[in-house]
Amino acid sequence: AVSSLGCLCALTVLIRYCNRDFDDEKILIQHQKAKHFKCHICHKKLYTGPGLAIHCMQVHKETIDAVPNAIPGRTDIELEIYGMEGIPEKDMDERRRLLEQKTQESQKKKQQDDSDEYDDDDSAASTSFQPQPVQPQQGYIPPMAQPGLPPVPGAPGMPPGIPPLMPGVPPLMPGMPPVMPGLMMPMGGMMPPGPGIPPLMPGMPPGMPPPVPRPGIPPMTQAQAVSAPGILNRPPAPTATVPAPQPPVTKPLFPSAGQMGTPVTSSSTASSNSESLSASSKALFPSTAQAQAAVQGPVGTDFKPLNSTPATTTEPPKPTFPAYTQSTASTTSTTNSTAAKPAASITSKPATLTTTSATSKLIHPDEDISLEERRAQLPKYQRNLPRPGQAPIGNPPVGPIGGMMPPQPGIPQQQGMRPPMPPHGQYGGHHQGMPGYLPGAMPPYGQGPPMVPPYQGGPPRPPMGMRPPVMSQGGRY
Amino acid sequence: MSLFGTTSGFGTSGTSMFGSATTDNHNPMKDIEVTSSPDDSIGCLSFSPPTLPGNFLIAGSWANDVRCWEVQDSGQTIPKAQQMHTGPVLDVCWSDDGSKVFTASCDKTAKMWDLGSNQAIQIAQHDAPVKTIHWIKAPNYSCVMTGSWDKTLKFWDTRSSNPMMVLQLPERCYCADVIYPMAVVATAERGLIVYQLENQPSEFRRIESPLKHQHRCVAIFKDKQNKPTGFALGSIEGRVAIHYINPPNPAKDNFTFKCHRSNGTNTSAPQDIYAVNGIAFHPVHGTLATVGSDGRFSFWDKDARTKLKTSEQLDQPISACCFNHNGNIFAYASSYDWSKVRTPGPAPGAPRQQSQALGSEGLGLSCDSSQDSHVSLGRSPSPPCKGKLQDFLKWLWGFSTAFGQNPAHRKCSASVSHYGLLCSWAQKHRQAGGCTL
Repeated sequence: AVSSLGCLCALTVLIRYCNRDFDDEKILIQHQKAKHFKCHICHKKLYTGPGLAIHCMQVHKETIDAVPNAIPGRTDIELEIYGMEGIPEKDMDERRRLLEQKTQESQKKKQQDDSDEYDDDDSAASTSFQPQPVQPQQGYIPPMAQPGLPPVPGAPGMPPGIPPLMPGVPPLMPGMPPVMPGLMMPMGGMMPPGPGIPPLMPGMPPGMPPPVPRPGIPPMTQAQAVSAPGILNRPPAPTATVPAPQPPVTKPLFPSAGQMGTPVTSSSTASSNSESLSASSKALFPSTAQAQAAVQGPVGTDFKPLNSTPATTTEPPKPTFPAYTQSTASTTSTTNSTAAKPAASITSKPATLTTTSATSKLIHPDEDISLEERRAQLPKYQRNLPRPGQAPIGNPPVGPIGGMMPPQPGIPQQQGMRPPMPPHGQYGGHHQGMPGYLPGAMPPYGQGPPMVPPYQGGPPRPPMGMRPPVMSQGGRY
Repeated sequence: MSLFGTTSGFGTSGTSMFGSATTDNHNPMKDIEVTSSPDDSIGCLSFSPPTLPGNFLIAGSWANDVRCWEVQDSGQTIPKAQQMHTGPVLDVCWSDDGSKVFTASCDKTAKMWDLGSNQAIQIAQHDAPVKTIHWIKAPNYSCVMTGSWDKTLKFWDTRSSNPMMVLQLPERCYCADVIYPMAVVATAERGLIVYQLENQPSEFRRIESPLKHQHRCVAIFKDKQNKPTGFALGSIEGRVAIHYINPPNPAKDNFTFKCHRSNGTNTSAPQDIYAVNGIAFHPVHGTLATVGSDGRFSFWDKDARTKLKTSEQLDQPISACCFNHNGNIFAYASSYDWSKVRTPGPAPGAPRQQSQALGSEGLGLSCDSSQDSHVSLGRSPSPPCKGKLQDFLKWLWGFSTAFGQNPAHRKCSASVSHYGLLCSWAQKHRQAGGCTL
């Protein structure tokens, strides 16, 4: 049994970005350099995340937002992590909890000597998932020592971005579908929430463990609850059908696991809607490169894989994009109270923009309305909007009435200028009682309500002499 | 073919020489300025489709008018016609055959402008200002799609006063784009919906926004087979997200990049982050242009994930941009966009910056020749007008000249007048080799 190096919490040496375990920090560092801190342009290996960012900026003039091959939630490129150093405390805590969970599960599952498994795993010569000797105080078995879980084949040669370990669940290795269900079964039986797990597994958003057995992961829990509503409601994914759906779903769930884009995807886990959408999407929106039907299936499910930043939606508290932290974190913290409307999505509501943070300032007024809305409210622009009683010739909206804007001095409108001819007497729903548009105060009128504004016929008032009083009725309508 | 029945009475190009002695940056790129620019901010630009010989530019402004210019190969612009709404015009688009122009306005209507007869009729009605308008040409139907702040998306057969279809939006429509068979609509509260237009428009997918701030502009891009495959979404936070609809690897393929920000993060001063006001894709090269409230426009290569070029800073925000049908001309409108609520006073943008400012942006020219000749127009206000809400379009012709990278170009200066035109453009070549600054 190989013990971990003297890392902070005596856990298995872990690779922070993709949850892969190493027993040797040297190898960990090598892995970090090769997989997470390697420039995708020139393949130069850097030592840290920020180092990579600076290199790309200086040499390639390119900005990097996230650590390559990192699982969602661990993409922060600003954290200076080298080997085991620099890992945020919360990540360590999370890791500890996960390992504890795994230990409990595996202990329940098999009452055998842990050391036996370790030996087995050792013999497999896989650098990852090498279990740690049981820590008496910890009382858990390192994650990888799961029965039935074949040692990870050739860990170093693993596809880039080994699928992140789902806490309590053996890593979802591509090509190991048969193993998954096998594991799920017994584990399902063991754990109290067992029955609930298999169905949850397939639909889990990336990196999100099933909520029940993961009490220690609040952000994920909450996120999952929100993000996998449809999936949680799909009890009909009983253990019987677990085998099928799991593999497919896991692929898109861990986009960082490189080769996720392979076959799978019966997407039986997907709701029927997603399925049909995915199917139709094939024809309509061809994806790039090898977009096979397979890929589109899982991509369509759960709405998560579509996003480039699934983690952002599921872990609001964590700033997954360092760039965001600069402009939004500080502002968010200070202006959350002033944020008017709740965000439609899960992510934290962006702050109002009048806040000036130490690092950035958004040049934009209140975020709740757009620049155009704000501008349209100005009296200047409402002067000419249709008003009741002004409709000439039954033409509601337009008409030279209401005056063409005063600020038209330099515009010779003589020729070529015809007043617009809106002949719509039939256009309902025209609320002439609302000269201005006030966002947020929109009347709940649908299209074509029987509100016929009072049209007053009459000759068009002579415009300020700038428009030929030609108001021939279009009559198209 | 004679499109317009009458010649316009707009002013002709000016005669006075353009004096650039003052350090006004209304046209730092020395681009061609369009004659008779509207008197208020320009909200939207649109070039004629390839079915029309020549290039015609439509601009909608906050002065309630929609103007049309013919842009000749020489860069000369000829005002052609104008139509009015009773409210500011927020969006314009062309029909596929180039015979009609559709305009959307704050007066809650949309109009169809028949250029041949120079008549405009109302074709759409909403309960709130119409923010977007697009022409959809499907094999089995054609219609106009209007998006409004009344949270609906309506589809109109121009012959009927009732919409063919009404789709509810989660929030006010802020921007949209259509490339058959895909349509993308971005709404307030960072809503994002993709529609498929085959047979009939229907909602395809609601997407979790890749951006954290208010959506401001969106543009669909196509793949190598010329099929729409994704879109670029800009927000008010100086950031654009590139999003593929069905990528093999979403986490890798989708990304965001920062743009339209002042200073670098290395400076001690807080970085000013500006809104991205418009995005346009080059029809041939697939590179994209973004324009922002910081008064600059930039070109980007989304596949190489590099910035190709950033312009000098104009003294006003750039509110809209557009490529012509073959990508030879790039038009951008410089006008106040209310991003700085206080009165403009001196230049509403950041302090004038010289060309060195570009260096801080890490600008680089791409290695592959991307943008061919682009022409933009502009206008040169005389100094007293600088602080006011003056708008002008700019034609960029040979933006590379600003960097002096390309020796093989020629410049020709032109004249300008108050509210008039200035023509100064340079022929641009293919960028030789590549050089990153």
